[in-house]
Amino acid sequence: MTKKYLTRYGDNYVGELTEAEIRQDIEDGTLDAADRGQIPAMSQDEMDYLYEIITSPQKIVSVEPGKEVVVSFDAGTLKLPTRNGIPMDRLQAVITQERALASDSTELCHVDYSYKPIKPIISEERQAMEQIQLMTTIPVLYGAMPNLGLYTKPDGPCDNWAELLPAGKITEAMEAQEEAVEHAIKDIVFVASSMIESGADGINLDTVGASGDADVKASLEAVRILSKKYPTTGFEVGMAGEFNLGMHGELTFDGEVLAGMYPHKQVLMAQQAGVGIFGMAVNTNSSQSLAWNLARVVTFAKETAKVATIPVHANVGMGVGGIPLSIIPAADAVSRVDKALVEIAGLDGL
Amino acid sequence: MSKEDIIRDAIESMHKGNEKLAIEAMERAIAEGLDPVEILADGFSAGIREVGDLFSRGTVFLPQLMMTADVMQKVSALVDKEIASRGLTAEKKGVMVIATVQADVHDIGKGIVASLVKTQGIEVIDLGRDVPVETIIERAEEHKADIIGTSALLTTTLNEQKKLEEMLKSEGLRDKYKTMVGGAPATQRWADRIGADAYAEDAGEAVVKALALLGH
Repeated sequence: MTKKYLTRYGDNYVGELTEAEIRQDIEDGTLDAADRGQIPAMSQDEMDYLYEIITSPQKIVSVEPGKEVVVSFDAGTLKLPTRNGIPMDRLQAVITQERALASDSTELCHVDYSYKPIKPIISEERQAMEQIQLMTTIPVLYGAMPNLGLYTKPDGPCDNWAELLPAGKITEAMEAQEEAVEHAIKDIVFVASSMIESGADGINLDTVGASGDADVKASLEAVRILSKKYPTTGFEVGMAGEFNLGMHGELTFDGEVLAGMYPHKQVLMAQQAGVGIFGMAVNTNSSQSLAWNLARVVTFAKETAKVATIPVHANVGMGVGGIPLSIIPAADAVSRVDKALVEIAGLDGL
Repeated sequence: MSKEDIIRDAIESMHKGNEKLAIEAMERAIAEGLDPVEILADGFSAGIREVGDLFSRGTVFLPQLMMTADVMQKVSALVDKEIASRGLTAEKKGVMVIATVQADVHDIGKGIVASLVKTQGIEVIDLGRDVPVETIIERAEEHKADIIGTSALLTTTLNEQKKLEEMLKSEGLRDKYKTMVGGAPATQRWADRIGADAYAEDAGEAVVKALALLGH
């Protein structure tokens, strides 16, 4: 009887696959990424090593000593109090991350987690940052999403391009996005400046591109302004997906069309803008196996790390980076993803 | 001009979102006595499905996709007019009610599915986002829908698709409708588990599955 290995699928379903099936999924996954990104596929040695990682008999795997990497966070102070329901405030959450979980860095954020709604509560956020900085030593970033959707009516001043586009009002939809970009840049610069002046060690722009290429444009332009204004501050940009969704389609940054860019091109734009850490994201396909998903992620990550001159951290949370879509990501899958991204793709952090 | 040339032009017009080229191709087909429905299916529909695939790969962007969908609707109107002039009635393949489930506000993907399905001669009633199961069923009954399509992008809202199946069963309505599920956490395994009739990974597949559910 052919031996089967316990593995997972992108929807967290636990299944068993044979060696041949896993090897085939690895090959299909890397070829899919290579085809989409027009980048090299994994070599046979890399695919063999990935196969070893996936079929390791250990429940949890780890990197070899000396290959450890740092971690950075998005939604930092949402994780313990909000998502895990632990009754603690944000200061306690940061201290717990520093002293109990030994995090390398963390992020202060608000439950609304978008730059626009932070404006009216900026004084509270500044106070929280100052207090945290007085009691901690790890780098504490301030983070939120650009979230361009919040600038559409009735929540904001711009017409809703998601309604205009299906109605065939293409020009109006593009103009509405361009208008939202200008509002978002102002808000991001305002909030980030306030938080930096309150002691933030860095600024994180999270889930960039969730509202399409205009979201990316606003984020990059804001970082360009901020990095000139605060040249010693670090800026991290974490992406929403593996390519910039072309909701506008013609927006550019430094002359390059942003829509359709995959991670190895996104990172070039990010570093030109002044970003210090690039958080690449590759979407997990819930129907495919861990082997297929991880081969794809490693292929994109390897090329991104190769072309980048800044550190690249992979988004390895629910539904991205090959991690299955489950509320509590499975440790076996998470540790395999982490090991492969560090040891095969050569990423700088997670 | 041969049928193959017209079909090639029809596909090209979809790729370019070129209304002039599309209308000319269909008018030529009609002038040469070809079956406009066949040209619509083999040329324009095939072309728009290819554009949908390119969109999912980040090669084509949303404005182009929407522009193509708009051109497709104009070509479909021309076909309807031609069929009517021959004393026939244009075939409406079915009615689909589509919604993003309650507590979920992600509707970009669902909107694209609605736009593409609409181009295939299926009437689409788009209920928007954050729609309770009760409302979905109510509107499906009101519009005498053939298909109910639901989208969920969150693991926390995915269960609404199961709730829909259960409510349809408890109200004795399950056999009246075909159900389709989609959204990032949905899979064929999920569809099988909850008893949905079809799962579609993206807009292109949604079109194929919707047509199959309607027997086309």
